[in-house]
Amino acid sequence: MQTAFPRPWDRWLDRAAVAICACSLLAMGCGKLLTTAPAQGERFDQPVAGLDNGELGDFQDGQVQFRRSFAIGEGLGPIFNNVSCISCHSGDGRGRPENVLVRFSRGTDLDQIEGGPQVQTRAIPGAHAETLPPGVDVSLRLPPAVFGVGFIEAITESTILAHADPSDADQDGISGRPNWVIPAPYVPASEPGGGTAPRVGRFGRKAAVPALMQQVVEAYHQDMGITSPQRSSENTNPVAPWVPGTDGADDPEVGDAAVNDVSQYLRMLAPPTPGEWTDARRHGEALFAGARCTACHLPTTHTGPHEIEALSGRDVAIYSDFLLHDMGDALADNRPDGDADGREWRTAPLWGLRIAREFLNGELFLLHDGSAHTVDDAIRRHGGEAAGARDAFLALSPAERADLLDFVESR
Amino acid sequence: MKARLAVRIAAAAGALLLWSGMAPLAWGQIVHGRPDKIAWGAYGEIRIAEDRVRGVTDPEWFSFGRVGGFVTAHASRRLDLAVQGAYDRGSEDFTLERLEATFLLQPALQFHAGIFLVPLGRTNLSHESPLYEFDEHSFVATQLVGVPHAQLGAGAEGRLGSANGWPLTFEFDVVTGYGEGIVMDAAGGTRIASGRNNYGDDNGVPALAGRIAAHPSADTEIGLAAETGQYNRTELSGVTVDQARYAHVLVADAASRVSGFDVAAEAGVVMVDVPPGIGTLYAERQWGASVEASRPLLSPFLRSWKGSTLSAAVRADAVDLDRAILGDSRMRVSASLNVRPRPASVVRMGWYYELRRDRFNNETPAAGLVLSLASYF
Repeated sequence: MQTAFPRPWDRWLDRAAVAICACSLLAMGCGKLLTTAPAQGERFDQPVAGLDNGELGDFQDGQVQFRRSFAIGEGLGPIFNNVSCISCHSGDGRGRPENVLVRFSRGTDLDQIEGGPQVQTRAIPGAHAETLPPGVDVSLRLPPAVFGVGFIEAITESTILAHADPSDADQDGISGRPNWVIPAPYVPASEPGGGTAPRVGRFGRKAAVPALMQQVVEAYHQDMGITSPQRSSENTNPVAPWVPGTDGADDPEVGDAAVNDVSQYLRMLAPPTPGEWTDARRHGEALFAGARCTACHLPTTHTGPHEIEALSGRDVAIYSDFLLHDMGDALADNRPDGDADGREWRTAPLWGLRIAREFLNGELFLLHDGSAHTVDDAIRRHGGEAAGARDAFLALSPAERADLLDFVESR
Repeated sequence: MKARLAVRIAAAAGALLLWSGMAPLAWGQIVHGRPDKIAWGAYGEIRIAEDRVRGVTDPEWFSFGRVGGFVTAHASRRLDLAVQGAYDRGSEDFTLERLEATFLLQPALQFHAGIFLVPLGRTNLSHESPLYEFDEHSFVATQLVGVPHAQLGAGAEGRLGSANGWPLTFEFDVVTGYGEGIVMDAAGGTRIASGRNNYGDDNGVPALAGRIAAHPSADTEIGLAAETGQYNRTELSGVTVDQARYAHVLVADAASRVSGFDVAAEAGVVMVDVPPGIGTLYAERQWGASVEASRPLLSPFLRSWKGSTLSAAVRADAVDLDRAILGDSRMRVSASLNVRPRPASVVRMGWYYELRRDRFNNETPAAGLVLSLASYF
């Protein structure tokens, strides 16, 4: 074999290069250099175990829709907050403060005349972004994590109501109550949480939404400005003109299939697995219960029957009772939402905290507005019905508090 | 997973054999017909890959790449006509790259008009897959220029300089400019490529494009190119919807031979005046750079195949799609071992590793093992 290189070392250089390349290719063949998948339970975007092939297909279809970014030419806007579901729910987890949603009202009204209930801070050319009207009640809402909502949907109303104690009959200072809400008129009775009668709200920071489908439709409409068969009129800024047609797509901009796909995808998203048990975490768990945190953050909840068999009859560690609690002045937004008043919040689920930072560029944003950056800070800002648990936490020794925090952050 | 990979490698080998069996009939024939009359040619590419994003395999392991063809006609002593098009698997539509008339005024100056490739960097001017050492172009080319980027317009190109200095080549054009797709059709942020191939012109306002390149030696070229112009429409059905907004793209490129290595680099900067309503999501500044080196290792690669070469190539490239935030960026290293039975055909065995950062600055690794075959035929 002849070579084109006159220098004697070129031949060896070339052979070495070929050998290196060949070895590299062999290594690649073994998949060593092609990245590795995270283990089951280490992500927020994995399906729950036990789905059949058809359900897994639905999951994949829904994932495509959930990750789809809308261009203006595809219907984005005219006013909107973000371009896709995943843009707010980072890695299917919680959002960041720069994506916080601003809800407002005037008294108990949702104030739709002035653009409520949510400020759309962005607008396509030809439209004007909304600004906050003066003198309204404002509440910041960090986009919540979306994994595990199928299990939340599968919890029966009776299970939630079994923990309610609206008049604090047991006199323990904790009086959780359900947020009874009327489902949106487009949510049929066949849909979980649907129908015309009041239902127990379970989604949203104040449990003001009873049905997952409603949450999806409203997110399309309010957050992205995408019309659907359920909300087929564009969301516009009522106090500023816009030129119809500038968003470049006919209404509805997504069909029933997209709404259904995203709803099914969310239902089938698995919560991450909790961290391994250690002595410190077992101690922390005992302290968590001893401080009566578990009065609201119920460690285990049993799901009822569900169309998706993998969600039915399971004990899931959500750490929430899905009831409204007075959380005191420090967390009050003074803005009613459905049946919830300005001091009440739904007990926040604690699952998934273990890996939440991985999808928030190493940071953590807790509470409804993302203003707490550590679990310790979030606990210290509990008040109202949770004041007793907070005080019990503060009364622990530093080592005990560390164990409790380690337990919570391992969920 | 390994079994699936083995199946794919076997399939790739089969495809390679099939291709090789057909090869002697076609390879090396870039142009058919008579260049002094009417000539034509075509090229195509197939790609077989194991692409993984965070360990999850992309189910699309086989794809056809860009398939293109061209016809040129030497209409008279001074007039040439050319038509060139390609099917782009990325945009999944047929792209007209040339529908061009060229008038030779003198040996060092010619005018052209019609649809032609905008001189925005040397990659855009010479983008065809069989000529390239990697199966995909750099981020500068694909994300900041939008290769292949053709527009309707007219201009002049020529050569300046003497044997004593650095000869200069130039091209200056008046073209339709990028379209409003930069923003309107871009999902998730400003994407220059979404506004390319704007033959019809969205706004009726011409844009300017040009490139000037110095040639210090026969192997060396240093170029600087730019395109600037209004990209958006200000009216819709007679109603004013926005003010005039401009996009500017600057590209610097260089190529040379250093110690037996063919080295090329390209860098690009994009500046877009974005409507304020979407300004926090759509970038006003983007930049990127790539550098690549290749070297022939064996020539001939096969004793019975004169003109065949085995070469290796490496590339590093990066793009920041929104300078205002930490995220929305991509970095990649690529390596490829290439067999060219003839200069016009290439079998590439490549690997790449990429780090993608979303707008939250969360990192997602992606990597792939690629076998691609590209040839003129």
